[in-house]
Amino acid sequence: MKRLLAVTLGILTAIGGFVDIGDIVSTSEAGSRFGLAHTWVLVVGIIGICVYAEMSGRVTAISIRPVFDLIRERLGPRIGLVNLLGSYLITLLTLAAEIGGVALALQLLSGASYLLWVPAAAIVLWLALWRVKFETLERVFGLSGLALVVLLVGIFWLHPDVADLKGQATTFSPPKGENWPTYSFMAIALFASAMTPYEVFFFSSGGVEERWTPRDLTISRINVFLGFPLGGLLAFGFLATSAIVFEPIGVDVSTLGQAVLPAGMAFGRIGLGLAILGVFAATFGAAMETGLSAGYTVSQYFGWSWGKFLRPRQAARFHVVVLVSILLAVAALLTTIDPIQLTEYMLIFSAVVLPLTYLPILVVANDRGYLGDKVNGPFANVMGVIYLIIVVAAAVAAVPVMIFTGMGG
Amino acid sequence: MPLLIAFDLLDRQILDRDGIPVGKVDDVELSPDSRYVVALLTGQRALGARFGGALGRWITGTAARLDTDRTGPRRIEYALVAKVDSAVHLSVRRELLTPPALEAWLDEHVIGRIPGASDAG
Repeated sequence: MKRLLAVTLGILTAIGGFVDIGDIVSTSEAGSRFGLAHTWVLVVGIIGICVYAEMSGRVTAISIRPVFDLIRERLGPRIGLVNLLGSYLITLLTLAAEIGGVALALQLLSGASYLLWVPAAAIVLWLALWRVKFETLERVFGLSGLALVVLLVGIFWLHPDVADLKGQATTFSPPKGENWPTYSFMAIALFASAMTPYEVFFFSSGGVEERWTPRDLTISRINVFLGFPLGGLLAFGFLATSAIVFEPIGVDVSTLGQAVLPAGMAFGRIGLGLAILGVFAATFGAAMETGLSAGYTVSQYFGWSWGKFLRPRQAARFHVVVLVSILLAVAALLTTIDPIQLTEYMLIFSAVVLPLTYLPILVVANDRGYLGDKVNGPFANVMGVIYLIIVVAAAVAAVPVMIFTGMGG
Repeated sequence: MPLLIAFDLLDRQILDRDGIPVGKVDDVELSPDSRYVVALLTGQRALGARFGGALGRWITGTAARLDTDRTGPRRIEYALVAKVDSAVHLSVRRELLTPPALEAWLDEHVIGRIPGASDAG
């Protein structure tokens, strides 16, 4: 059982990347407008995050240092600072969106406006990050996020035309009546969400929290190769059910309520309840992931003591960063900014920061000073370089495509 | 032991003997003939000095405002370094070193006042 639970870090990290609030809505929107024509993007994203998460996990297990720590060592303090500012901003705004997402899930259940739920969600989040053990958080939210499997099973319950779906899934272009720029915009957003920088920072810091040593290399790899594809599969559940339910009738998904509706159509109230529970756990898990990552990145850049394995008084600066980040996120939400749109903007901006995140990881993973004989083999390097090229292409294309389509209009 | 200061020391994490982070090697102090490292300098004052320019002055200035009873950055004698690998390991516990000013202030005024601050996570 303990061995089975050891993979919850990977699952939680992947949930935060693939099915956080922005992804749930934008993946479902992609399904409702383009059918399964974005399936290949999910596959490309899953492989990419596996390649780099495997490197980060290996670096952490062997050198016992989280990757963000090493980025400054290899890029120097100036570029390291630019990287810190970029990833902190993305992490902070994603944190705001996730707190909003938890509140939106509670709105679906209670009917009361999400703005009323925002402060409550933020307080519970902070309490969890202040009091609860890292392993407990990871297990509770990693596992309950798996309730989203209901959407995957729902694919079969909705009795789709399998041949038609297969055709859609092997399409690499927008269907008739839709345009290329919007299709590309969504593709970049889905790819960037699969590879959001805080995933690798959280994953490797989590490895340090769990006190990984070189003997845990296998645990790290199981986490990567089980957790991330599972997260990607959950995202596919949203993509496919929206493609089946909404695409044929020409409805564009734009709210959380619509995104979980197919679960209700397949399994009635229980299905809908499970989907909402899954969304709640996934967004709360993503809020924890981003809240902690905000503290991790700032502390690791400056060399401060950090982590939940220490008493809060031993890591006062780390806990202040987490607390202040949550307060800033709440302040941003209370301006009534739409949390879902917030993440859509962030996905595109994160595409721009991605190269700065992944290049140093590739460099460090080849450094014998840290890794000895566990440096990247030729396969990891070829994959790493291919993905670096994809990441740079996405970064270059992100802003023009965003402006051209007016945010995917 | 010969070390490449820029490659092996600068920006590396300093850990105490229990593995708890103490700071980054933000700068080093060399002996007058520049042949030995005498001390590691850590904290935002040392970091700001390395940045230079307006940003560097701002970083150093804000750090110095908190840290009124010391004239320079935090110094750790190189004699306390036990081992350098993916991090710089000290031979002492961090309680024996002067605490960073910001950490001490936040502990006393913010974090230490919240219930549960001394409980293990």
